[in-house]
Order: sequence, then structure tokens, then C-alpha cells
Amino acid sequence: MSSRDQTDEKLERLVSQVLRDQPLRRAPASLEARVLGELAARARLPWWRRGIASWPALVRVPVISGCAVCVPLVWVLSLWLATRLVAVTRSRIAGPLATLQGTGHTLASLGALTTHIIQSIPRDWLVGGMIATATLYAVLFALVAVGYSLLYPRPEYSKAHLT
Amino acid sequence: MRAYQDMVFSTAVRLTSSPAQAEDISQEVFLRAYESFDNLRSSPKAGGWLKTVATNLTLNHLTRHRKRWRLFSEIFSDDTRDEELDSAAEVFDTVFAELETDERRARVEQALERLPDHQRIPLVLYHYEEMPYQDIAERLGISLAKVKTDILRGRVAMAGLLAQGGLGAPDDRRRYSSTPPGAQS
Repeated sequence: MSSRDQTDEKLERLVSQVLRDQPLRRAPASLEARVLGELAARARLPWWRRGIASWPALVRVPVISGCAVCVPLVWVLSLWLATRLVAVTRSRIAGPLATLQGTGHTLASLGALTTHIIQSIPRDWLVGGMIATATLYAVLFALVAVGYSLLYPRPEYSKAHLT
Repeated sequence: MRAYQDMVFSTAVRLTSSPAQAEDISQEVFLRAYESFDNLRSSPKAGGWLKTVATNLTLNHLTRHRKRWRLFSEIFSDDTRDEELDSAAEVFDTVFAELETDERRARVEQALERLPDHQRIPLVLYHYEEMPYQDIAERLGISLAKVKTDILRGRVAMAGLLAQGGLGAPDDRRRYSSTPPGAQS
């Protein structure tokens, strides 16, 4: 055994000894009152707000039996509803689905046409058009800014206003 | 309840290091005990049952906040030097011989409280609850190697805190009951 292991063991033994010598921590005086208060509050609750284990047998037995019957009933009902729902949905959405499909085809054709038109325009024309559009927007913003500053001048505050 | 409330509270407060949380947990333990009162009333194992429930409820409570200290536990490696171990053993070996029992107990309790969660929890589980390393690792969801490292570092850190001095103010002694040593398990 290495000296480190020996020191490790010695430390473990000493810590165990010291900790085991510790007395218990004293519980707060309020603990007992809290527990008793909570028990009293629980006792005041009506039976139907407590756990099912503390319900009267006359209520508990029918509830448990009802739950036992409900499980297979819900299962069968769910299957029946699912079958009905699939049939109804299929018949109801057949019409709108066809319309949507037609709209989709039309949009796809329009997209293909737009792509074809854009591809047929020479590249220089496209770049020139973009530059011209950007320039026109810049001129428009400049005109709006000049017009706004002329038509709605900012009020000038005199020193008197500020004081 | 009076016979066991210090034991239940001690179990919870040493793991959480928070008297307020420990009081909440202790309340829950006794409420559960009340639900099983018919079985516990005449059972000689009532104390053990209460201690187990207190430990489990406290660990469940701590597990909710585990990510905070688990991260630190996984980051640090075992870089404890031999000199640190020697020094820690020396602190436990010699310093306590010079302190009176009450002051020593107050200092130890404070040092334990000041340890970080990732060191204190496995240390308490190992030394007070006598849980094996493997069980602690499984219960806390950390590796076995990390449990060993955290406990070792916890011991060294505790020795460091004890050696700092000035930890145990005389008033702190009042927090501890006069239950005889060894009665907590």
C-alpha cells in the first residue's frame, strides 16, 4: 500500500470519527406545530378531496368498478370513432383536395413561366434595371426628406422656453 | 414525533445545508409517517423507516437542483496533492485534540455547511448514511470516480475550513441538541 493510500485511509477514519461524534441538530420548535397544523387542515377536508384510499367504501367500490368498466369502453369507443372519422374525413376533403391540387398546378405553371421570362432577359438589362430602380428610390427618398424639412420645419426653442 | 424530530431534521439539514428546506422536508416525512401510522406505531424499525424516508425525500429535493452542482462535479479532476492530504489528516488529528467538545462540534457543523453541494452531499451520504460509493454514484447519477474524488476533496476542503479558525462562534453551540453521540443512526 502506497503512502498516499495510507494517508487517504487515515483521513477517512479521522473524518468518520469526527462526524460520528457530532450530536443531532436540534429541530426547530415550529416543526411540531407545522406538522400538527397540516394534519388538522387535512382532517378538515371533505372526503372527496382526500386520497381515494380514505373514501367511504360505499363510494370507493362503485368508483373503482366504474373506472374498470370505463377503460375497455373508452378503448372500443375510440376505435369506432377513429374508423368513422377516417371515413367522414376522406369523403369530405376529397372536393377541397382536388381544388387545392388544381391551384397548385396553376401556381407551378405560373412559376415556370416567370422563370422562363426572367431567364430570357439579357443579364445586362437586369443589372441595369436594378441599378435604375435603386437610383430612383434614392432620389425619391431625397425628395421626400427635402419636402418634409421644408413643409414641417422643426420648432426652435429659445432660451426662454428652456428656462 | 418528538423522539425522532431531531434525527429527521439532522438528516435533511446536513444534506441540504438549509434549515428552511430541511424543515419543509421534515414536515413531509412526518406527514407520510402519519399515513403509515398503523404500521409504524409498534414497529421497532420506525426510526430506520423515518431516516430512510428523510434521506430519500431530501435527495429527491436535491436532485431537482442537481444540474447546478453536477456540472462542477464533472469538471474538476482529482488533483489533490499528497501534501494536502497530509495536511488535512494533521488538522483532523491534532487541532481537535486542542479544542473543547462543544466548540469542536460547532466548528465541524459549520465547516460541513460551508462545503459546496457537490462535495457535501456525497460526504454526508458516505459518512453519516453509510452508503457505499457505488450506491452514492447511482443515487446521484454521477460516475463512481467522481464520487470518490468529491468525497476526498470534501474532506480536504473541510480540513481547510476548520484550519481557518474563527468559525465557531459561541452562540452557534445553541443550535445543537445534547443528544448523545452515535444516537443519530
